[in-house]
Amino acid sequence: MSDQTHMNGEHDIAPGDEEQHSVGERIVGYVVGLGLALLLTATSFFIAGTDLVWQPSIPVALIVLAIAQMGVHLVFFLHITTGPDNTNNVLALAFGLLVVFLVVGGTVWIMGHLNQNMPPMDQFIRMHS
Amino acid sequence: MPAGRTVEGTMLGKLDWSAIPFEQPIPLIAGGVVLVGILAVLIWVVVKGHLPYLWHEWITSVDHKRIGVMYILLASVMLLRGGSDAIMMRIQQAIAYQSQGYLPPEHYNQIFSAHGTIMIFFVAMPFVIGLMNLIVPLQLGVRDVAFPTLNSVGFWLTATGALLVNLSLVIGEFARTGWLAFPPLSELSYSPGVGVDYYAWSLQISGVGTLVAGVNLVTTVLKLRTKGMNYLRMPMFCWTTLASNLLIVAAFPILTATLAMLLLDRYLGFHFFTNEAGGNVMMFMNLIWAWGHPEVYILVLPAFGIFSEVVSTFSGKALFGYRSMVLATMAICVIAFMVWLHHFFTMGAGPDVNAIFGIASMIIAVPTGVKIYNWLFTMYGGRIRFTTPMLWAVGFMVTFIIGGLTGVLVAVPPADFMLHNSMFLVAHFHNVIIGGVLFGAFAGFEYWFPKAFGFRLDERWGKLAFWFTFTGFYVTFVPLYVAGMLGMTRRLQHYDVAEWRPWMIVAAIGMAVLSIGVICQIMQLVVSIRNREALRDRTGDPWDGRSLEWATSSPPPVFNFAFHPDVRGEDAYWDMKLSAQQQSLDHEEPEYHDIEMPRNSPTGFVCAFFATIMGFALIWHIWWMVILGGIGAFATFVVFAWRDHDEYVIPAAEVAAIDRVNLEERRNLVSMAGAI
Repeated sequence: MSDQTHMNGEHDIAPGDEEQHSVGERIVGYVVGLGLALLLTATSFFIAGTDLVWQPSIPVALIVLAIAQMGVHLVFFLHITTGPDNTNNVLALAFGLLVVFLVVGGTVWIMGHLNQNMPPMDQFIRMHS
Repeated sequence: MPAGRTVEGTMLGKLDWSAIPFEQPIPLIAGGVVLVGILAVLIWVVVKGHLPYLWHEWITSVDHKRIGVMYILLASVMLLRGGSDAIMMRIQQAIAYQSQGYLPPEHYNQIFSAHGTIMIFFVAMPFVIGLMNLIVPLQLGVRDVAFPTLNSVGFWLTATGALLVNLSLVIGEFARTGWLAFPPLSELSYSPGVGVDYYAWSLQISGVGTLVAGVNLVTTVLKLRTKGMNYLRMPMFCWTTLASNLLIVAAFPILTATLAMLLLDRYLGFHFFTNEAGGNVMMFMNLIWAWGHPEVYILVLPAFGIFSEVVSTFSGKALFGYRSMVLATMAICVIAFMVWLHHFFTMGAGPDVNAIFGIASMIIAVPTGVKIYNWLFTMYGGRIRFTTPMLWAVGFMVTFIIGGLTGVLVAVPPADFMLHNSMFLVAHFHNVIIGGVLFGAFAGFEYWFPKAFGFRLDERWGKLAFWFTFTGFYVTFVPLYVAGMLGMTRRLQHYDVAEWRPWMIVAAIGMAVLSIGVICQIMQLVVSIRNREALRDRTGDPWDGRSLEWATSSPPPVFNFAFHPDVRGEDAYWDMKLSAQQQSLDHEEPEYHDIEMPRNSPTGFVCAFFATIMGFALIWHIWWMVILGGIGAFATFVVFAWRDHDEYVIPAAEVAAIDRVNLEERRNLVSMAGAI
């Protein structure tokens, strides 16, 4: 199927195929990625146990670090870039994020409201005792 | 492993002679007849020496056209099985007034569960995936799908699921829980038998197959398109295929995860969905419908694509509002993920949640309405040929509008509180699934059959099949609407309400008419195969088609196209035909090249063989056999991954010889059309 790869004239290629760089450059990319990922992981563990920062801000900080971690993985390991050769990957990621947002967000919302039409539990127990 | 209760420690897990239902004559006789039928076919194949042909040309084939045909064959056989279940249910409800009818409750419960499971997962899904496999690469002007061997794996895993479900007829039992196996009923405490395990493992295995097919088709549409085939020049069926498979990729993992949690509950004593220890059954409803509603659109979007092709071809016009159609398709693709709560309005959510999801459910009817108007305007002013595919398309429009209107009705939460789980709901979703998906599958079958096999289907039997099915559908399901309005709930094994009785009898008569439609469909196939020489299509373009699948011969050569077609607009093949007539076709011989095609591979079949063993062993708790199947499937994968030769070359001379015949026929066609 090799003759079909570039047929549609767009410069839109599969993840992993786009690396035209030398081995050295690629290794540098992965090492930088690994370094950043390790740094973010270490920071998360440090923040979780420290009293250097204002305590209620810790969960927020952890969420921010987690999102940054995802970003590092996407950019350095999965090679999602904003270049024109990467439209499909970015769109696929966006669609995935949208679906995850809808399903997870919807689930949290729905499950939180699910007992709305039930009598409060203490009242229920009183009714039956 | 804690779950096995009685015969823990034996070589065959829970399996013993009590698994064969000797005391129930119906499944035993049915199973026996099917078994004899399969054996007879197998013996015939071996004795006649067809086995090498079947193995080399079909079972190990990675040709998308062959795989598509096998998907459709699987769907057709399963349609007969699911249809028999439907006939049994209609007869039961017609006679079970103030009596037990002829089906014992536990058997009746298995039948309605199997009917739903089979019809959705093993009829509708393989039928639409089969048509997409068969046609999409041809419409895109390419030689194969993105991952040919993976495609074969996907098909055979789907077949494994179907096999396991049907095995439950003779060995053990099927789920008695309805087609979505709601807990707590499907938990171990209320369903201790193997029925739910048959259900869950079949769907897990075939779910992998479906996901694989989805990934494959998304990649095919996004990455493999012929020269000039921009997104906005793709035929409508390719667009709906893209949308449908995006939904598969996004939604099927939810099903897999949900069933995996149910299985953890059943096998390892987890408490995701149990009543006790912090389990929450509502989470199951929520998750299963987060898959279940997109599933509805996974099925119906390809059908919309088929109707777009059929309506445009047989009206002799370009599709009206192509861009609005694309927009509507992609809008449905996104909104499909925003409506799932309407399946459980009654289960305790407050007015905020219900109102938002009710409104979203009504909004999704808007792009569907856009599509209906586009089809009507395509027909308007066209020279319509009422062939069999066109009849299915028009029948669909009428039926689907009625189904859509009752759908908007139950999208209103207060109305849904009245109609939830009633026969009205049963009538509604059969109205949209039969009227939408099944009519679409039949339209696509009639429309593309000449492309796949090189001869047309008999029109007379086809039209008879349409009219019997169409009439039979209304006679069966309109009474169910009425019974629902009279308060009849679904899944009743017997009832004592006199007002429901006449409607159940009418519905049973409707079922008989529907069955005549199915018999006509089989007759059409038999008659067409016998008259195939008279019905032969040598042009490759029997319907005066508009898209690229008609640009190659019927059946297409293994490489589909000797040259990648150069696309210059929508309706690619129509434009080619017009320009060919004007330029009277240059007769210069083009220069042919060698073509590389993927080699056939038994990977799919062998993987599915081990998956079947593993699935069966998991259902019956035969742990050594589980390990055996797992190792086998993994080893197959490793062998495939390390193979050296994955392509073979068709020499230019052979390509030229095949293509010359096709070009000659086509020149005759054009010159004939020019003469008229």
